[in-house]
Amino acid sequence: MNFTRRNFLKIAALTGATTVIMNNLSVLANTTDAPSAGSNEPLPHISAGGLIRPPGALPEKAFLATCISCGVCANVCHVMKYDAIAFAGLEDIKNYGTPYIKDMRDFPCSLCMECPKHCPTGALQKVENENVAMGMALIDLGLCFGWNGDVCLSCSKACPLGAKVFDFYNGEWGNQPFINEACVGCGLCVKHCPLGGSAIKVVTKKQYQNVKASYAGEFRKLLAMSNEERYNIVYSQNIPNIMERGRLVEREYR
Amino acid sequence: MNASTDKDSEELRVMSYESKEKEDEKMRRWEDEKKTNPNFSTSQVPDFKSSSEFKTQDSKLKVFLKPSRLRRIVLFSITVLFLLQFLRIKILVGGPTASLAFWSINLINVFAFLESFAASKSITMQALTGVLPVVGIYLIFGRAFCGWCCPLDFLFEMVGKLRVKSSELRVRDKKKIKIPALQTRNFRRRNQFIGYGIVAVLLAVSAILGVPFFTRYLSHLTNFFMVFNSSIFLALDLPVSKTVLIYSGAAILSLLLLEYVVPRTWCKILCPVGITYGLFNKVSLLKLRFKEGKCGECNLCEEVCYMDVKITHSLDQPGLRDTNCIYCGRCAEGCGTKGKLVSMSLKLRVRS
Repeated sequence: MNFTRRNFLKIAALTGATTVIMNNLSVLANTTDAPSAGSNEPLPHISAGGLIRPPGALPEKAFLATCISCGVCANVCHVMKYDAIAFAGLEDIKNYGTPYIKDMRDFPCSLCMECPKHCPTGALQKVENENVAMGMALIDLGLCFGWNGDVCLSCSKACPLGAKVFDFYNGEWGNQPFINEACVGCGLCVKHCPLGGSAIKVVTKKQYQNVKASYAGEFRKLLAMSNEERYNIVYSQNIPNIMERGRLVEREYR
Repeated sequence: MNASTDKDSEELRVMSYESKEKEDEKMRRWEDEKKTNPNFSTSQVPDFKSSSEFKTQDSKLKVFLKPSRLRRIVLFSITVLFLLQFLRIKILVGGPTASLAFWSINLINVFAFLESFAASKSITMQALTGVLPVVGIYLIFGRAFCGWCCPLDFLFEMVGKLRVKSSELRVRDKKKIKIPALQTRNFRRRNQFIGYGIVAVLLAVSAILGVPFFTRYLSHLTNFFMVFNSSIFLALDLPVSKTVLIYSGAAILSLLLLEYVVPRTWCKILCPVGITYGLFNKVSLLKLRFKEGKCGECNLCEEVCYMDVKITHSLDQPGLRDTNCIYCGRCAEGCGTKGKLVSMSLKLRVRS
């Protein structure tokens, strides 16, 4: 083969293309989405109950009908440097290609409200920050520092709605935070929780209605518990758990 | 050096061979017509010599920027503007299905709008404000989106080149793969109606399922965008679902395969996006116009046309209004009269 410029360019382009493709293939080979390793999730017995939609989304059925998977919301989110929105994969064929907040631990929604402003079909509607209904954050009471003898308050400091959302039950067991129904589910608290793997989980509003009774029961039981019982639980179960998590899941802020 | 000259001469030989074949065919056609039509005058003899020369040289259209080149420049600059969004520059955000221009103007594909409307059975203010500028644009430019902005048009052209090359290597005479059912005259005439049928069926499916079915799962525009978007997000280590990339990549590859087997069938018959834009061709300001001049009836314009537009059938009319025309300008380039006959122009219709 004669070594002309054209041939050289061809070879260079081919090599580049192959490396890129091979890289992509090696990444694609492990299709499991790594960050949400099952056992490290807070509240493992409660599932998220669906996809957490971007802020201002229509009710689920109307949203599926109106959204055309054009990608404006995801790219607007990228341009705004939040990168929260991803597209649902084929695992859930009904929701394929629709936007949702995938990884709240690293990329939560910051309620900048640019995506509903620019949604071309109106599947995301402009609403006030307080009226957003993306989901509902639930604190894992067994993992939260505030419920286990510490003063942390990271979640309430991160919350864009602040005092409206948080109820504090201050006692000798710490500064116990509880998230009430004013929560919009943006997930900023999930990101800012200092516990390895986060102690907060966001579920959809619908799922919250299902688990509301059991979750509130657990919460009331804990409040009504005598000090000795509480002491046993905290020191025999919760604190070893928390230490274990800190060792297992290294917290990396982006 | 020696090898390259060899290759060039080889190409030339193939081209002359091809044009000779075509010439023979034309001659035969002309003889047939002469036999059947008694009024056929010899002045209508096409200029065979110039037509066969056309293939061996690049093009005879004496314009600084030929449409084929200008088309690529437009597509390339649009792609670059879209890629700038990954550097967080707010000029053109989104994908080809719907986008946000200059952070203020919403643009939404007309068919996607229709499908979303059919699925949700309601209309929102945002969708309306998004679709109006697009309707405005296509009232001026007709189906030019397909030829000038659609990324698949470019990919299809590349596949076409690959097709010619590989068949050159393998077989001496370039025989097109022809599916007999697609080649019959009746089918061609009905293409348009099949297209409208597909549009109607897809809208009905969307209305029944309650999801914009085509735009979400099948659309070439959505899938192309998903391939780009997911691979770039994957490279930037941002959250993406990998199955989206796999599915959309497979969809685009299968479209390219379809193109390799039956060229431009997607554009001509199947693509509902193009068919809805084709309706704008009937009223658009831009249209194919014929200049003053004598048509040599060499049929070169129809041969180079991707979309099987019957250009010579409307020579006596002021302009061509075919729903299949994508204004790629190949007919003007390929015209045997050196671009003297066919031209594209914006023209206001004057009712008389």
